[in-house]
Amino acid sequence: MIEVGTELPPLTVTFRREDLVRYAGASGDFNPIHWSDRMAGALGLPGVIAHGMLTMASAARVVTDWISDPADLLEYGVRFTKPVVVPDDDKGVNVTFSAKVDKVTDGRAEIDITAVAGEEKVLGRARAVVRVQ
Amino acid sequence: MTIDATMVGRSYTAAESYQVGREKIREFADAIGDPNPAYIGDDAVAPPTFAFMLGSRALEQLLNDEELGLRLDRIVHGAQKFSYTRPIKAGDDIAATATITTVRKAGDVEVIMYETALTTVDGDPIATSTSTISHNRGES
Repeated sequence: MIEVGTELPPLTVTFRREDLVRYAGASGDFNPIHWSDRMAGALGLPGVIAHGMLTMASAARVVTDWISDPADLLEYGVRFTKPVVVPDDDKGVNVTFSAKVDKVTDGRAEIDITAVAGEEKVLGRARAVVRVQ
Repeated sequence: MTIDATMVGRSYTAAESYQVGREKIREFADAIGDPNPAYIGDDAVAPPTFAFMLGSRALEQLLNDEELGLRLDRIVHGAQKFSYTRPIKAGDDIAATATITTVRKAGDVEVIMYETALTTVDGDPIATSTSTISHNRGES
């Protein structure tokens, strides 16, 4: 039974430089701010940052791991509020996602997702709508 | 060479459709580190954010509209939303049309919202992607 307040299992992922290179290749997004410190710095960023769409893809996993049929995802949206800086080391950066059911109506559940890197929330208004029984 | 509210409604269609292959889906799922079995095999569906990539050829057309004068290296992706009619799956042949829906200006920064309709080549809806981007026209 899905009800308001139900918490979804959280997920922590690690982004290393290698992961950004792989995502750039798979997605075709070769914006240099995702692989060059020099270019990221020129735009006033503290260093190379993760693709927003990679963070968004990881956040979606909290929901798609929870629903059994991917066809039940009806809507999914986020705001990119803070860049996720990925250091050039072996440790990378951890991003932790959690999610909670905020509303259940007419066979639909609205889920709020939170994404935290370090102490900071990196996504705003991250929300998924799924079909429920 | 600027963008303003009179450009709302302009539409850009990708010159070619996008044929979704199961190996591309697998490659994308690997790249986002997602081992979900739904993304593997002949009946594979694509992870939800795969839809963004399918809009990129339409976005290219929008960025190439010289009357808008946008530069990719001055764009920041501010927000992204998807609505799905059904999952994208291996074997789909997908057409994309991006339409400018909102333009707001604040000094040198232009906030542009555009909606990309993803359909089968026969016009059946699959998903809609709504993107908000900020373009900085300042000198800096």
